[in-house]
Amino acid sequence: MKTKLSLLALCIAGLSCTSAIAATDPAQLEQAIAKQEAELNKLKHDLAELAAHQKMQQQQQEAQAEVVATATKELIESKWNKFSFKSYGSMTYTSDEYYQNVQDTSPERRSRFDLERIVTEFGYQFNDEWDMEVEIEYEHGGTGTALEYDGFDEFGEFETEVEAGGEVMVEKAELRYRPSDEFGVKFGNIHLPIGLSSILHKPDQYLTVLRHRSEAAMLPAVWNEMGVGIFGELANFHYQAQVVSGLNSEYFRTYDWIASGHQKRFEHVNADDLAYALRLDYGNFKKGSAVGVAYYYGNTTGNRHKSNKVSGDGTVSILAVSGAFVQGPWILRGQYLNGTLSDADAITQANKTTPGLKPGNFAQVGSESEAFFVEAGVDLSHFTPVPITVFANIDYSNPLADVDTGIASKRYENTWTSVGINYFPIPEIVIKAEAGRQQVAVSSIPDTNFFALGVGYQFSL
Amino acid sequence: MKQLKYSAVAIALISTLAACGGSGSDDSTPPPTDDKFEFAATEMITNLTDDVIISGYSTLAMKGEEMFLASQTLVANKTQANLLAAQEAWKAARQPWEQGESHIFGPVDSLSIDPHLDSWPLNTADLTGVLANNTGGFAADTIKGWNDDIQGFHTMEYLLFGDGVADNQKDVADLSISEAEYLMGLSEVFRDYTKTLDDAWKISHDGQAASKAYGELVKAPGTADNTFYASQVGVIQELVNGMIGIVDEVGNGKIADPFGTSAATADTSKVESQYSWNSLTDFSDNIIGVRNVYQGELTGASDKQGIIDFVKAGDESLALRVGSEIDDAIIKIQAINGSNNMPFRQAIADAEGRVRIQTAVDALSKLQASLESDVLPLLNKWKV
Repeated sequence: MKTKLSLLALCIAGLSCTSAIAATDPAQLEQAIAKQEAELNKLKHDLAELAAHQKMQQQQQEAQAEVVATATKELIESKWNKFSFKSYGSMTYTSDEYYQNVQDTSPERRSRFDLERIVTEFGYQFNDEWDMEVEIEYEHGGTGTALEYDGFDEFGEFETEVEAGGEVMVEKAELRYRPSDEFGVKFGNIHLPIGLSSILHKPDQYLTVLRHRSEAAMLPAVWNEMGVGIFGELANFHYQAQVVSGLNSEYFRTYDWIASGHQKRFEHVNADDLAYALRLDYGNFKKGSAVGVAYYYGNTTGNRHKSNKVSGDGTVSILAVSGAFVQGPWILRGQYLNGTLSDADAITQANKTTPGLKPGNFAQVGSESEAFFVEAGVDLSHFTPVPITVFANIDYSNPLADVDTGIASKRYENTWTSVGINYFPIPEIVIKAEAGRQQVAVSSIPDTNFFALGVGYQFSL
Repeated sequence: MKQLKYSAVAIALISTLAACGGSGSDDSTPPPTDDKFEFAATEMITNLTDDVIISGYSTLAMKGEEMFLASQTLVANKTQANLLAAQEAWKAARQPWEQGESHIFGPVDSLSIDPHLDSWPLNTADLTGVLANNTGGFAADTIKGWNDDIQGFHTMEYLLFGDGVADNQKDVADLSISEAEYLMGLSEVFRDYTKTLDDAWKISHDGQAASKAYGELVKAPGTADNTFYASQVGVIQELVNGMIGIVDEVGNGKIADPFGTSAATADTSKVESQYSWNSLTDFSDNIIGVRNVYQGELTGASDKQGIIDFVKAGDESLALRVGSEIDDAIIKIQAINGSNNMPFRQAIADAEGRVRIQTAVDALSKLQASLESDVLPLLNKWKV
């Protein structure tokens, strides 16, 4: 190996010697210079070519990038991108103790499944300011019932069309114009901001298996009405003000106060009496901590089909105060509802004596109604790897808190206390379990225990 | 040529048809019947409306007035004799009401008179609250605004007879002032409703001055201003369905619900009229009401046209069979009390009593089947 390298060194040395000798000859030198010049020129030419090629390549790349950018922009502006789809739903299993009748004091345990609801929500963003949203709810997996008032039949008839066990209904169908965060307008079939269920109705937004029983015994669940509203946010204050269709007092009942008067049961919504709703929140209930106050006011007599049966206005006013504290693992939410109804006695009398209208034994309506709930939870995933939230809940409602004359029965004053868990195998799915006790304020009616399981989901595309 | 052929075929056909017709008209056998029967229903409908239904409601209104007077007397003078008299007045009002349940259509339904008068079961928890809060009597108008489960027959029954567990006797000393006063308020409300019902059949069906009496509407179906009944078929159908309804309710509801599948599952809380021990009288009165409509007269009255005459026109043997099935059901219900006059609320938990109850239920089922599958279909065979 060494010999090889030495040989190479010798050769190189020899070569340099020859060139040195050759340089002495001018002709030879000239030739060499010319040759070098030619080589240099060739090199320059090659370089120029390379630069041109590179430039072209760069141009091509730029063009390509432009195509990609346009395509991306087009994709963003495509129809599909303006479309949104959301869905949520829940299925429950409940095991409750029931009384067969008002005489019965030995409750019987009954269990049942319920495909509580499947909700699909379609949205479309027309442009930066305008969008629309339609929410269709399938309750109890079925179709539905419509009630129609036929004024030409006999002396006016309430006709019920029963189509199947459940209900399919448009829960929301609204158009929104939102030029800025501070101000927006929505109209159509809109959610009333009265009652936290209207704001927090997805399964992962409340801790109990069923939505809060206190609110269901007093207000329409996820209350929606036809109307127009303004909304917006200013420095973490959220406001809403609405003018919407009112309630119909023909269907007010003892056990759920004005809730059954929600005109969703009718084919047409009588709009002779309108209602007004206001809400002001500091913070955002959907996102976390907040405090808020809401007020509802509206007359109901005008919306009766037989409007001459009640002389007063039948004014409903509801005050709702709510609060939520959601921080780290801690969740605490609560709401207090207080409602008053004017002409409650007149409504009771009218509902008892309207031919064909059968509130039957539940005609007596409270002049005052009251309900509250408090739910508190701890998200254990902050302390352990298990995504479980444990909670405790108390619901209280008394739709017959007071009556115009006589004394109010305590039969409808209920308190539900419970504890349970929410388990999130993945963030979009929640599995819930709850066990608790129901107390009726009548001492002769024994307390009953209940148990409930539920599974819910929610996602948005 | 072709035309000639067709003509020939046509001629042949025509002559054949003509021959057929000819042979028929020559035949001495009668033409095939259309399987229909004739019956003039006007007299029957008029009679059932006036002599059975309206007559029954008039009696009820009268007994309602007497009940109110008896309770007034009791409040004014709380003696055992006056309590017994009020108990008797209650039972006397109960009879026309229960018999009237065989035709529980029209104003009794549309004006919600039934739940106002006869809601069952009684809400004793609320009643206790009401009695405890008595501040100087109970005004009828106030009571009317309260829910039906603390008024009507069974609330009065509870106040008059006690809880009915051990017996149906109440000592007047156990009747508190509040109870007596509430009873008086209740019987006034009761009296008013029975009067409203009577008036609805006789004067105006909905209380409006311009409206016709419901009785007039039943008796004149098919007239231009009658939006209730388009024809006599509709009236008879209503009457027969009324009979079916109460037979079903007595057999499958009033008796079967508390009866359960065994003595262990029998449920006294579901026994109607358990405080007065009047249940068996109620049940048999219900079926006597069916007999009134069927026969066309109240028990003991002279014979008038009833549903039986309609059935006879269609199927004579069926008419007799249904008549005896009704009588049989009444007898079997009355026999539930056995040899020792056992009330229904005790009989459901008694081995022998349960056998007798089952016999009565079977008789009612048989009657219901006949009414549904034999009597009701006769309407389709009636040549109107």
